[in-house]
Amino acid sequence: MQRVALVGAGHMGKVHGPAYAGMLNAKVVGVMDIRKDAAKELATALDAEAYTDFDEMLESAKPDVVDVCVPTPWHKEYVIRAAKAGKHVVTEKPMGRTLDDCREMIEATQRAGVIFMPAHVLRFFPEFASMKASIENGAVGNPAVVRTTRGGSFPHGWEDWYGNFEWSGGLVLDLIIHDFDWLRWNFGDAERVFAKGLCTRNLGHLDYALVTIRFKNGVIAHVEGTWANPTGFTVKVEVAGDDGLIDFSNKVAVPLIIARSKVEVGQGQGVAIPESPLAQNPYYAELQHFIDCVEKGQRPAVTPEDGMKAVEISLAALESINTGQPVEIGG
Amino acid sequence: MAVKIGIMSFAHMHACSYASAAVRNPNIILAGVADDDKERGQKMADMFETTYYPSYEALLAGDIEAVVVTPENAKHKELTLMAAEAGKHVMCEKPLAPNLADGREMIEVCRAKGVKLMTAFPCRFSPAMRRVKEAVDGGAIGEILAIKGTNQGKMPGGWFIELEKSGGGAVIDHTVHVVDLMRWLMKSEPKEVYAEISNLMHHQDYDDVGVLTITFDNGVFTTLDSSWSRPKSFPFWGNVTMEITGTEGVILMDMFAQTFTVYSDKNMQTTWNFWGSDIDYLLVNDFAMAVANNLPVSITGEDGLKAVEVALGAYESARSGVPIKLPLE
Repeated sequence: MQRVALVGAGHMGKVHGPAYAGMLNAKVVGVMDIRKDAAKELATALDAEAYTDFDEMLESAKPDVVDVCVPTPWHKEYVIRAAKAGKHVVTEKPMGRTLDDCREMIEATQRAGVIFMPAHVLRFFPEFASMKASIENGAVGNPAVVRTTRGGSFPHGWEDWYGNFEWSGGLVLDLIIHDFDWLRWNFGDAERVFAKGLCTRNLGHLDYALVTIRFKNGVIAHVEGTWANPTGFTVKVEVAGDDGLIDFSNKVAVPLIIARSKVEVGQGQGVAIPESPLAQNPYYAELQHFIDCVEKGQRPAVTPEDGMKAVEISLAALESINTGQPVEIGG
Repeated sequence: MAVKIGIMSFAHMHACSYASAAVRNPNIILAGVADDDKERGQKMADMFETTYYPSYEALLAGDIEAVVVTPENAKHKELTLMAAEAGKHVMCEKPLAPNLADGREMIEVCRAKGVKLMTAFPCRFSPAMRRVKEAVDGGAIGEILAIKGTNQGKMPGGWFIELEKSGGGAVIDHTVHVVDLMRWLMKSEPKEVYAEISNLMHHQDYDDVGVLTITFDNGVFTTLDSSWSRPKSFPFWGNVTMEITGTEGVILMDMFAQTFTVYSDKNMQTTWNFWGSDIDYLLVNDFAMAVANNLPVSITGEDGLKAVEVALGAYESARSGVPIKLPLE
């Protein structure tokens, strides 16, 4: 039984926390947040203790594992403190705000000999795992050009941290890093990145980027990220190879729509809400994998190096947006 | 009075569609066709119940007022100049020319001879695209910030992949339509292009994958996928899409989405049958009306050449690895 301490009771903490509830070999024993009420609310729901101090949580809750769900710039601090205390660590993506942050986290967790996984949950989404399997099985031959789309409206978080570029890195670091990691998982390392985006334009709660990646194996990928689309959260993937095409859209793959004719006061019309229910929550699958690795002393499928290399692509895209030039990866 | 037109060459498959549009249009008489492939020309003349002329000169010697020029890209100049010399107005297939010099000469000679030169960009006539323009002009999504475009298709084969006849592969074939729509929509000119280009779909000497990033004078950035990336088994020829992000909303256009799906056991094939408006008909009609009423054409040779320039810049960018300033030197 792995005792889990959750750091951050915000949006992602509320997703990770309940995922452990379904596991037989893990239990959330502590929830820490600098906001006492938030910590308490989530802790109560999870039948755990609430804390506002990290060291106090480690001492009193005696966790085996720390799950870091705080905003990006604070990942490093909690990952390193957890590692130094000998705790295994899983941290939300992006792994760090800078490459130096990532390197320090990798060093600290290696030195401490703890298991460390960046939570790139897309690999545990069945549609993304299944598309990878199809590509590997040769369904489309050798991939040549790949297109992804991800986004919706602007996210709301603690202290509007998504809207603070210095903290979040905008959608290029926070959102489409999902796709960068999935693309790397499929096609290996990137060679260069060219990108255009709105993050430097100070448009308030509006961000958008178009990123072109050339991979070392020749694949060209086009990644769209949007926090400016009011049509609802959209995810699309297209993989064109020399023997076929994979085409996915979450707007098409909709098994269920619930639309209510009884309209609440103040709403103009009934809203149709599409759903895509799954027997197994991808976050559960991701965290179960991590806990299993901890129990067996195995290296997780998503390595710290993967987490850092995804950040590297994001930062290269941001550099390209700033300079107007293509940016070599690892250059 | 109906406008008498001729068609010079059926090398480009769009010629068939234009011929069909002409014969269905009560304001147009398809007076004759000529083709350097005699067999093809005769077959088309029979199909569209018009006269086959054994030479372009013979066709141009007649009383037609205008021609549709639809040979291989490399022959656009030769046939356009012949028509202009004969005093016939020209609608030339896209891309206007495989290089800037050809295009400039076509524009200059047509001007000197006092004939109209129109570039065949039918997508401007799409009712969905018209609606996009109307919505943008009316401020529906505020100010445009970015556009993501695609013109993906199947590898057409034939002379399209013989570089000396086409001037390039997918990028020159599929860049020009959407670049023209972007210019038209924003009334702004491309100022820089970056491109990643490859041949990994078919592994031959022509390009079949192109992902372009084009910035415009007004500060808007765009990307355009001009790849021949639809497999042979794809249920439709391809697409033209534009997704526009504005300060106050988005517009998502999929120009050829008006289809129904047919699953047929006859050939074990799934197909999408398009039932939207015939934009080739609208294009040919627009050209004929400009001729009939002696009005300026709505899409000029300069428009055609501006779009070609982006494709040429994209090739230059892929060769050099850096963004290329437009217009080209």
